Amino acid sequence: MTAPLFLEMAINGLISGSIYALVGSGIALVYGTTRVLNFAHGELLMIAGYLVLFFAVTLGWNVLLASVVTLALVGSIGAAIQRITIAPLLAREDWAFRVIAATIGLSIFLQSGAQIVWGEQFRTLPYFFDGVVSLGGLRMPVQRLSILVIALLLMGLCALVLYRTSLGRIVRATAQDAEAALAVGIPAGLVHTSVFAISAVLAGAGAILLSPILTVNPWMGVSFLLKGFAVVILGGLGSFGGAVAAGFLLGLIEAASVMVLPTEWRDVVAFTFLIAVIWVRPNGLFAGREA
Amino acid sequence: MLRLEGIDVHYGATQVLWSVDMRVAEGEIVAIMGPNGSGKSTVLKAAMGLKAPSGGRVLLDGREMQDASATERPRHGMAIVLERRRLFPRMSVHENIVLGAYARPARETKGSLEWVLGLLPDLREHLDATAGKLSGGQQQMVAIARGLMARPRVLLMDEPFLGLSPAMVKTVSAIMRTINGEGVAILFNEQDAKLSFALSHRGYLLESGRVILSGSGQEMLDHPEVKRVYLGVREEAAR
Repeated sequence: MTAPLFLEMAINGLISGSIYALVGSGIALVYGTTRVLNFAHGELLMIAGYLVLFFAVTLGWNVLLASVVTLALVGSIGAAIQRITIAPLLAREDWAFRVIAATIGLSIFLQSGAQIVWGEQFRTLPYFFDGVVSLGGLRMPVQRLSILVIALLLMGLCALVLYRTSLGRIVRATAQDAEAALAVGIPAGLVHTSVFAISAVLAGAGAILLSPILTVNPWMGVSFLLKGFAVVILGGLGSFGGAVAAGFLLGLIEAASVMVLPTEWRDVVAFTFLIAVIWVRPNGLFAGREA
Repeated sequence: MLRLEGIDVHYGATQVLWSVDMRVAEGEIVAIMGPNGSGKSTVLKAAMGLKAPSGGRVLLDGREMQDASATERPRHGMAIVLERRRLFPRMSVHENIVLGAYARPARETKGSLEWVLGLLPDLREHLDATAGKLSGGQQQMVAIARGLMARPRVLLMDEPFLGLSPAMVKTVSAIMRTINGEGVAILFNEQDAKLSFALSHRGYLLESGRVILSGSGQEMLDHPEVKRVYLGVREEAAR
């Protein structure tokens, strides 16, 4: 393998990995704090894709403004999903299965709703950034590199909020012991809603970054949900940092696989790796490092 | 100060507390003693709002607390040290303690921290340590410190001696007296009758979710039933 080819593989892996990390870290944050597995998480990504398309293409807004408004809206939708769909179920003693059923139902509802509202055709956004960067004999569009840079910045910002702010402190406290957090006066409901909003914003950011290079369609969230779950399991259930690391690892493994195998084998390799990890380390690669 | 009147609690269809009446006056240490599964922890959780009673009333200074959720009760002057410490294990000791002041105005945190560290000076050298890595006794100190950061007038303590060495039991007992000396009333539960009633001004004996005996600490220690069942003293030997 030549050096430029290896570099291309590595950068492509990191780019895919950054999206998996964005989606997976959101799922991990929600699971780590609330013990809820949100099967409608992928649809938040899909909705964000359509919203940014609507603002940036249909209304012709500046991309930055369209992105900010999209993130605000998708964060609000995430919060509303928690308050309306999930919070009432958490009050029941046997909530775990009910929440799974409710979020699967919500996922189907949102996919069907998207088909009705936006149709079934696949759409794409124009590139946000023009130009090409030359790296050691490799030419890479700025648009693709920007995915990696922006995703890293967003996850860094999220980590900063988690570990350096009072909101992050109460989120971590609730994640580590919800009853003890309640006993010191931390409103668990508000924390859960905030975490859903943050998680939705991370998924929305993934969608915005992906929309110019992939297509926006009603089913786009499904594959990212599966990869997101894989990342959460690899990273150690509920570990934000673990999910970020596992996202990049999964991206690199996929990129390496397409160097030696046909592209259709990419998911086979990724999920075989997941199963192998579960055999060897059932609690994931970074278990015990939850938020 | 704190009164529980006719408290009933159910877990699903099972009733675990039956019309429990208790009171804690200002400046008192009150013990709830009873065997495993008698409902001691549930009494404290019901008082703190962590478990909703199915009947009865919780009053603080004559004010009904039914409408105050668990997150609001620290603002009214109540705090709880949960069973088995229940620290936030991956956070530092400092973070754990400061979170105890969550319900208080932020401007009070620094002063409260100094007050708490004055009462528990050994914690100063562990402030940066990860809470989950401390010994059981040190963790109990952190849990007490976290409870005190709410500047409570009544501190509820769920099995404060559980899993501690005899030396640490003495230390925690001394700390409880010191806290009480600062004007904080304490309601705690414990399975050891001698320890409970020797430390407390008054006590309650709880069996199968019902209060079957109450009195001053000394009265409880001298009661024949307590002596026979919980202190293992036979009547003849007692005479």
